[in-house]
Amino acid sequence: MKSRSRLLQMVGLLGFIFLYAPILSLVIYSFNESKLVTVWGGFSTRWYGELFRDPQILGAAWISVKIAFLSASIAIVIGTLASFVLIRFARFRAKSLLSMLITAPLVMPEVIIGLSLLLLFVAMEGVIGWPGGRGLVTIIIAHSTFGAAYAAVVIQSRLVDMDLSIEEAAQDLGAKPVRVFFDITLPVIAPALVSAWLLAFTLSLDDLVIASFVSGPGASTLPMVIFSKVRLGVSPDVNALATIIIGLVSLGVIVAALQMNRSKRQSEQR
Amino acid sequence: MSDGRPESDDKPWTDPDAVPFLQVKNLTKRFGAFTAVDSVSLDVYKGEIFCLLGGSGCGKSTLLRLLSGFEEATAGQIIIDGQDQEGVPPYARETNMMFQSYALFPHMSVEKNIAYGLKRDGLPKAEIATRVTDMLSLVQMDGFATRKPHQLSGGQKQRVALARSLIKKPKLLLLDEPLGALDKKLREETQFELITIQESLGVTFVVVTHDQEEAMTLSSRIGVMNAGQIVQVGTPHEIYEYPQSRFVADFIGSVNLFEGRITADHEDHVIISSPESGTDIFVPHGISGVEGQQVALAVRPEKLQISKSPLENLRNTMKGTIEEIAYMGNESVFQVLLDSGKQVRISQSNRMRTTDHTLTWDDQVYIGWNDDASVVLSS
Ligand SMILES: Nc1ncnc2c1ncn2[C@@H]1O[C@H](COP(=O)(O)OP(=O)(O)OP(=O)(O)O)[C@@H](O)[C@H]1O
Ligand SMILES: [Mg+2]
Repeated sequence: MKSRSRLLQMVGLLGFIFLYAPILSLVIYSFNESKLVTVWGGFSTRWYGELFRDPQILGAAWISVKIAFLSASIAIVIGTLASFVLIRFARFRAKSLLSMLITAPLVMPEVIIGLSLLLLFVAMEGVIGWPGGRGLVTIIIAHSTFGAAYAAVVIQSRLVDMDLSIEEAAQDLGAKPVRVFFDITLPVIAPALVSAWLLAFTLSLDDLVIASFVSGPGASTLPMVIFSKVRLGVSPDVNALATIIIGLVSLGVIVAALQMNRSKRQSEQR
Repeated sequence: MSDGRPESDDKPWTDPDAVPFLQVKNLTKRFGAFTAVDSVSLDVYKGEIFCLLGGSGCGKSTLLRLLSGFEEATAGQIIIDGQDQEGVPPYARETNMMFQSYALFPHMSVEKNIAYGLKRDGLPKAEIATRVTDMLSLVQMDGFATRKPHQLSGGQKQRVALARSLIKKPKLLLLDEPLGALDKKLREETQFELITIQESLGVTFVVVTHDQEEAMTLSSRIGVMNAGQIVQVGTPHEIYEYPQSRFVADFIGSVNLFEGRITADHEDHVIISSPESGTDIFVPHGISGVEGQQVALAVRPEKLQISKSPLENLRNTMKGTIEEIAYMGNESVFQVLLDSGKQVRISQSNRMRTTDHTLTWDDQVYIGWNDDASVVLSS
């Protein structure tokens, strides 16, 4: 029995090493003094400094954050509405079809999503003249759509758990349905909204493929800039940048997970 | 098992001129092909505590939800204080409901939960504050104003839910199994509190319960439900002493039923031949039945007498053997196997001097009842 659990631990450890060794080496090399990526030249934060003096990187980072912020916000609004309709109003048969449709972007290859959105934008421009060209707006729209799919999954699971009778109780005490939504439903599902927002935000920050399809001149996101830089050869400042991004993303994921856990515990206590 | 409520000075339901506060007329609710509430008609008068009593799934909650507006009736009419409620949404009805699950708002403090209804009415802040404070002390939750629902015990949640449903002084308060989650002792205390609160505020209560003792203690009248229908309405005393059907007799308390056939039907007495009990049973009053009709005779366990010597002063007696004795503190319950093969239950108060304490297992005994202790049930 004991040797078996030892074996399991070993396998688990190997798995973790496999997952995190590349990331760890990237983090370590981001503090490398040497300009050569593969040679250790002593500890330094030089590349972090260079990074913050590079206008291209800073500009792209700002664009990425803007896109992520706006698309995450749009995504949770759409995600909330979609889950609300699905959980509260849809008939049984329509329900499974609709929920399948809304979660399709989760399993669809990104290349296909990107390509189809690009075609859509081009066609729309031809027919209604909007959006004029591709850039910030089209990336935000694209990220909102797939962010909304993730958000809907997170929010739905919270809505399903929610006790319907508390909404009825509010109505019974004189609140009209819209009022009930803002007074009761929204606060109760708020933790799910926060984690959905964080999830959509990080996904948008991460995305390279879809953004590449739908972006235009002057709207290069951070992943796009990194990717083009790396193609010219790996430079140490990319390591530093990647380390910062990893830090931010893990922070987001951890906060989202903690939020979900907390709200779950609270709802269990009730 | 007594009518614990003080006999109120007036019994509006006996007054043909009294106008009911709540009128339900032929109310029906179908879910698809399933009829959850089946042509229910009810009159509830102002200031009553009216209990809807019935087994699980008989449609009690559905009936309450129809009254509060959460379900739309398939057919029929609801009139509250003279106003037809057809098409009136829940938030516009002058009813408040205490939910089976309490349904407290988890993200609001006790105080905010209770104040919610008043806020929606747009009352001034100062008035809301005083009314909430008053209500908190009424339900004895003074120290808990700032707690969140998940920091409360089941009994405390129940009080908050009650306070929240009372704060708007609704004309009609609907309570769905208000005490279901409480332990026996707390439940009994709270039952009396409910009565006190109801009397001090003068609100009309409709209470749903599946606990017959609770219905007996709380209510001015009880409506017994079965399979979506109201099978009998009456005071706790009437329901207990004069059940009109086998279902009601069996549902309220325990009862011995003797199946039989009317063999002689006279003005002043009836003879029922009951092969089950091995004798002919004498009933000292006429009934609205016909000769040959199949009926059941109901006798409560506490109305049966038991003795080792023949009960010569009684007209209806039978012989049997004691099978089981259960000592329950204030009473003892005997299970007797009659010579005819039927089992009957007899309960004897242990405080009565007439109780024979020497009775034991396998004793040959006589059982019997006073002429007026039985009820004839034809349905
Ligand atoms: N929305 C619904 N759709 C279909 N059937 C329903 C619905 N609501 C209730 N029912 C059915 O109606 C019947 C009555 O339900 P109801 O909740 O009124 O029972 P109840 O008397 O309150 O029971 P309990 O004592 O268990 O609470 C049940 O058989 C239930 O399955
Ligand atoms: Mg119920």
